[in-house]
Amino acid sequence: MVKVERKLEEIMVESPDGIGASDDEWAAFRRIEVIDFPLTFDFRHSLGKLSRFFLELENQRLMGTCCPVCHSIWLPPRTLCPDHHAVNDWVELGGQGVLEAFSISSYALGADSADESVVLAYVKLHGAKTALLQQLRNVPRDKQIEPGMPVKVVWSKIDVQHPMQLFWFEPDI
Amino acid sequence: MERVVVLGGGISKFARQRLDGSPVDWIVEASMRALEDAGVDISAIDHSVVAYESEILARQVTMGQVVQDVLGLTPKPSIRVEAGGGTGGAALRTAYAYIRSGLCNSMLVVGADAVGRQVPASTVREVYALSGDVDFEMAAGGFFTAYYALMMDAHMRQYGTTKEQLARVSVKNHRNAISNPFACMPMAITIEDVLDSPVVVSPYRKFDCAILADGAAALVLATERWAREHSLAWKKRPHVYFIGSGSATERVRLGDRPQPYPGYAHFRAKQEAAKMAYKMADIKNPVAELDVAEVADTFTGVELQSYEALGFCDPGQSGPLLEEGVFDLGGDLPVNTSGGMIGQGAPPGGVGIAQGVEILSQLRGERPSTVQVKNARKGLMDIHGGTSSYAVVSIFSQED
Repeated sequence: MVKVERKLEEIMVESPDGIGASDDEWAAFRRIEVIDFPLTFDFRHSLGKLSRFFLELENQRLMGTCCPVCHSIWLPPRTLCPDHHAVNDWVELGGQGVLEAFSISSYALGADSADESVVLAYVKLHGAKTALLQQLRNVPRDKQIEPGMPVKVVWSKIDVQHPMQLFWFEPDI
Repeated sequence: MERVVVLGGGISKFARQRLDGSPVDWIVEASMRALEDAGVDISAIDHSVVAYESEILARQVTMGQVVQDVLGLTPKPSIRVEAGGGTGGAALRTAYAYIRSGLCNSMLVVGADAVGRQVPASTVREVYALSGDVDFEMAAGGFFTAYYALMMDAHMRQYGTTKEQLARVSVKNHRNAISNPFACMPMAITIEDVLDSPVVVSPYRKFDCAILADGAAALVLATERWAREHSLAWKKRPHVYFIGSGSATERVRLGDRPQPYPGYAHFRAKQEAAKMAYKMADIKNPVAELDVAEVADTFTGVELQSYEALGFCDPGQSGPLLEEGVFDLGGDLPVNTSGGMIGQGAPPGGVGIAQGVEILSQLRGERPSTVQVKNARKGLMDIHGGTSSYAVVSIFSQED
C-alpha cells in the first residue's frame, strides 16, 4: 500500500454526547483520520505610519506623538488624536517614568527566555498622557514591584530581532 | 416593526478535543438541534449569520460560505461576523438588526471555533495576541492572560478584592456545569482546590481560567409572524422575545484608556453596551428586574469586573456580593447557570450563542431542577472581545 506521509492516526470515535452506536445518527461517520497539517506564515510586514517610533529606537530615542489641538502626548504614538481627530506631530520623550500596572508570568510571547518570570508593565513616561507596555527587568530581589514605582528606559547593547526588543524598563533607583 | 422571537437553540458538545469533526461539522450538529427545538424546517430559513473568530485556528477562510453549502442553504444569503471573544454576541446583534430591518424574516445564528487540543496552546495564544495591539504590545511580549491578570491585580489593589473571591467564581461555574451535558469541565471543587492549582499569571491560577475548547452553538430567530407560520413548536412552548441589544467599543490598549475610569480595573465598553440594552429593554434596576444572566468569565475576575460594568453593583462590590450568594443559584441573580466559559468551555464563536441557548432554556423553564431558576422571565447575555475592547449585551424576555 502507498503511504500517506502526513497521516497520524486512524481512529474510531464515539459520540461526544455519549450516545450509543445503535442510536447515533452519525454512526456511519465515526471512523476518523487525523493528519499533520503544517501551516506556516512568513510576512514582509510594514510597521506603517508609526515606523518612525521603531526607527528612532535604534538611535536610543523614544518618540511619542502630540495633538496640535489639546497638546496631549500619546505614547505609544497614534497617528490621530482620538479625542480631537487631528493629525498628530512627532515629539521626543525622556527615558524616565512611573509604573502604573503590571503582571508577572512564567512565560511571555517573544521573551528571550522562559527560564525566569517575565514582568510586563505599563509605564507612563514623564510628559506622556498614556502608558506604554514593556518588559520590566533586573528588579532587585529585595525590591517589591508596585504601582507608583519610578522606572527608567534601558537600551539593548546586543542585536535584537524586533525593534521593541531594543529597550526595556528597570527600576530607577 | 415586528418583534424578534427566539425560537430554538442547540449546542454541539464543548470539549477539550473533538477529533470527531471539523467546526463545520459541529455547526451542522448544533443547527439541526436548534431547528428541531424550534420546530422549524431548515428549508424555510431565510438567512444565516455565521460567527467564528479565527480563520487560522479553524483552518478555514470563509467558513460562512462553507456552512451555507454543507447545510444545503444555498442560494440563500449568509453573513459572517467576527469580534474576537465577542463574536457570538455580535452574531445575535446582527441577526436582530437583519430581522428588524426587514432584510429577512428568519435567521439561523451559528457559531463555532476550534481552539481545543488540535491546535497547540502556544499557537492559540499567539493568534489571540494578534487580536490585541500587534506592533507595540505583542512585540513586547504581551498576551491576553497577562493583560487580564494585570487588570485584576489593579482591581484587587483598588478595592481589596481577594483571591478567595476569585476562587468562589470558579467553584460556582464548575459546579453549575455539572448539570450541563454539553459542558467540558463539570467539577465539584472547593475554594482550596482553586487556590492550590498552579499559578498561570498572578493572580490567576489554572482553575481561574476559561477552558480552550472545541464546539458550536446555534439559535433560530424570526419575526413573530414568521414563527406563527413556520414553527410547529410555537403553540406548545413559552414565547421568548429578543428585547434588548447594546454594543460598544473601547481603546484596544489598556494603557491608552482614560484614568481614573475606566483605568486598568474596569470594562467601560461593557458598561456602555449594558446601558444601551437596558434602555431598549426598559430595565432600570438590573438585579431586581433580571432573573438570570450569562456573564463573560474569561477568567474568574472578569466575571466580577463584569458584574460591576453591567450595573449589578457598584465598582468594588462584586466580590462581597458574590460571597453573600447574590449570584448563586437561589440568589437574587444567578449567573452562568450553564457553567460559563470556565465550566462549559470557550470556543469564541460558539460562546455568545451558547449563552443565548442557556437563557432561552432558562426562560422556558427547561433546565434540570438543579440549575433551573424559578419563574425566570428576563435573562441577560454579556460577552466581549479583547479586554472588553468590543462588548455586546443582549436581553431576552419570556412573555406568556
